[in-house]
Amino acid sequence: MDWKADKFSSVEQVMDGMKAAHYICDSQVATTVYLACNLEKPVLVEGPAGVGKTELAKVVAEYLEAPLIRIQCYEGLDESKALYEWKYGKQLLYTQLLKDKLDTIMHKEDKLADSIEKLHQYDDIFFSPHFLEPRPLLKALEQPDGVVLLIDEIDKADEEFEAFLLEVLSDFQVSIPEIGTIKAVRKPVVFLTSNNARELSEALKRRCLHLYIPFPSAALEREVIKTRLPQIGEKLRKQLVAFIQAVRTLDIRKPPSISETIDWARVLLLMHAESLNRELVGKTLNVILKHEEDIRVAEEKLISLTAEALKADDGMTGE
Amino acid sequence: MEGVLGDFITVLRKAGVRISISESLDAVNAAQIMGYDNRRRLKEALSASLAKSHAEKKIFDSCFDSFFSFNFFQSPKKANAHHPEAYGEALKDPLAALVLKDDKGQLAALMTEAGRMANVSSIKNPMQKSLFTMKILNQMGMPGMEAMVGQIKNSTGSGLSQQTAELLEKGRDDLLQTVKEYVEQQLQLNADGVDSKDQFLKTTPLSQIELRHFHRMDGLIQKLIRQLEDRHSRRLKTANRGKLDYKKTLRKSVSYGGFLFAPLWKKKKENRPDVIVICDISRSVLRTVRFLMLFIYGLNKRIGKIHTFIFYSNMIDASYIFDRYSIEEALSKITTDPSLPIIRGKSDYNTMFTNFRDHHLHLVTKNTTVVILGDARNNFNPPRAEVLKAIGERCKRLIWLNPETKPFWGTGDSEIKTYAPYCHLLQECNTLVHLERVVGKLLSAKR
Repeated sequence: MDWKADKFSSVEQVMDGMKAAHYICDSQVATTVYLACNLEKPVLVEGPAGVGKTELAKVVAEYLEAPLIRIQCYEGLDESKALYEWKYGKQLLYTQLLKDKLDTIMHKEDKLADSIEKLHQYDDIFFSPHFLEPRPLLKALEQPDGVVLLIDEIDKADEEFEAFLLEVLSDFQVSIPEIGTIKAVRKPVVFLTSNNARELSEALKRRCLHLYIPFPSAALEREVIKTRLPQIGEKLRKQLVAFIQAVRTLDIRKPPSISETIDWARVLLLMHAESLNRELVGKTLNVILKHEEDIRVAEEKLISLTAEALKADDGMTGE
Repeated sequence: MEGVLGDFITVLRKAGVRISISESLDAVNAAQIMGYDNRRRLKEALSASLAKSHAEKKIFDSCFDSFFSFNFFQSPKKANAHHPEAYGEALKDPLAALVLKDDKGQLAALMTEAGRMANVSSIKNPMQKSLFTMKILNQMGMPGMEAMVGQIKNSTGSGLSQQTAELLEKGRDDLLQTVKEYVEQQLQLNADGVDSKDQFLKTTPLSQIELRHFHRMDGLIQKLIRQLEDRHSRRLKTANRGKLDYKKTLRKSVSYGGFLFAPLWKKKKENRPDVIVICDISRSVLRTVRFLMLFIYGLNKRIGKIHTFIFYSNMIDASYIFDRYSIEEALSKITTDPSLPIIRGKSDYNTMFTNFRDHHLHLVTKNTTVVILGDARNNFNPPRAEVLKAIGERCKRLIWLNPETKPFWGTGDSEIKTYAPYCHLLQECNTLVHLERVVGKLLSAKR
């Protein structure tokens, strides 16, 4: 019945599909995506920075083989940048070009009232779809083959913008005063992401399914590294994941995210490392920690952290 | 099954998760898509459609686990190695048949259904436990089974039917135990609802709130503060448009060939009130002081400057205490710290007003809101209403909060009627609801 129905017949199918697109997720993520597509509801994704919230939307787009339309939210984003704008330039240009034409139209009528009357017959031409500049939201609704719409970092936008989104999110339509209501040709799959910079409104939350992506468990993180960087040795993989997991429990400002784990794995790969050691970790600590004081905290405990990570590997292989 | 889902949603609401009707509809749809056979999938689906923040997810998890824990009837029963053909008569009673067949699924379903019929989710306190247990057992058909047991016993039949009777009695005891546990669980789920208690605390006179409720009160105040903040930050945003910004408009018009297409506006400055609080900290007022201060300092994002004066027999400037210590510490300091230069004798509005006029009147500007909290019991000292008049004329607003109930105003040594004409707002203030209203008015810009 729907353009995405055959891709969403079961949760397992979604999970496998995402895995094929190199995105490893737990079953909560897969279930929510599955539900969102079947209930035709937007998904609000929350969680710490760098756990793959934006990536999720990209992967779903890839899985559906649909284009991804993305709006990056920021303070001051308004409907003229997100939804539509009139092509003022084109309108002006046309009025200039058509000046002569207007003269000929008006030519015979010498009375002002008659001219106005005549003009009224052409009244809406300058505010018709031809002069409409569609912005991402409108584009997403107009796509004939369905799209994945990603509204990134909604918490950075103003509250007004959030309120303005409500119509799109609940009915998949927008109202343009001069033209009327435009409905989605095919309902897009919508993802909203938030870093919790501020509390989102109840109204918005009510219209969305909610997904919280936490930092991954060790097993999941190992799986992610394995999929992204298959070249990396098993031993090193276990060690570095154990190390990252330990660092996350420290009292630091910005715990390392998955993307940082992947970066670090890449760096270690470049350095042809076979296994973690204190010196190596000390040198590359700035890849996973981005604050001076965080690095200092980690450096203090470097010996025990590294030892733990090495031990974790032993324990795991022993099992 | 929708009924059970409804009950679950009620439980979640009571636990503090906000769920709207549309969300419960989503949950029903989600459950239909997912089916009820995979517990984990069901949990994930409901979690996505009902719990909308990280905190709510945690509540959801614990509620789900205890609500959908069908541990009932799971106790390892010895296999019924008896001869089913010997049950004979006993199978005629539906409940007895279930017990004899040991059909746990059916029994559990029957029990939940009976629970719903008996409206067990309305259980409020432990006293009701046996009542609900009775009701559920009756609903399940216990009397019929009891009669059956008696009948079999009296029939003096073969050894086999006596065994059946024993089996039934055993089953009855198990059932009784299980239903009791079920009711207990329902009590746990339903009775710790916060709503009713909060409502009660909101309207109880502050002076009568016991110490053990303070913790909950503080939570409540935080909640109210957030509501107030939401309300007022929004109002400021919508009223943000000021005068036409000519420069910006011209600059913008360049891209439209000089046509003034898009007028731009100057932003209005955010209007944050400065507040001067003068508190009577005599024993009769102290409780209210505590809660008012929690409010005002909780809202310091919306308030520009706060000056705090406290007085008893004399007055001191206590702003530094609140600046330096956390609000909790500061409050305990002003109430008990003996090193403070405050004399705890009889409250004296005369000294307070003269002191304020002589030393602090310059703090009062046209942007200031002055809040005086006290019962105006002046111990027959001169009232000094002329100072209050002077303050009222200088400041933007003068608010007097009186923790006494209205009938007592003006009786005995109360001077409140003398002060009343000079205040822009005089209000009785002895419950949380009063306080919230006052602070709301404090934040709104108009008089």
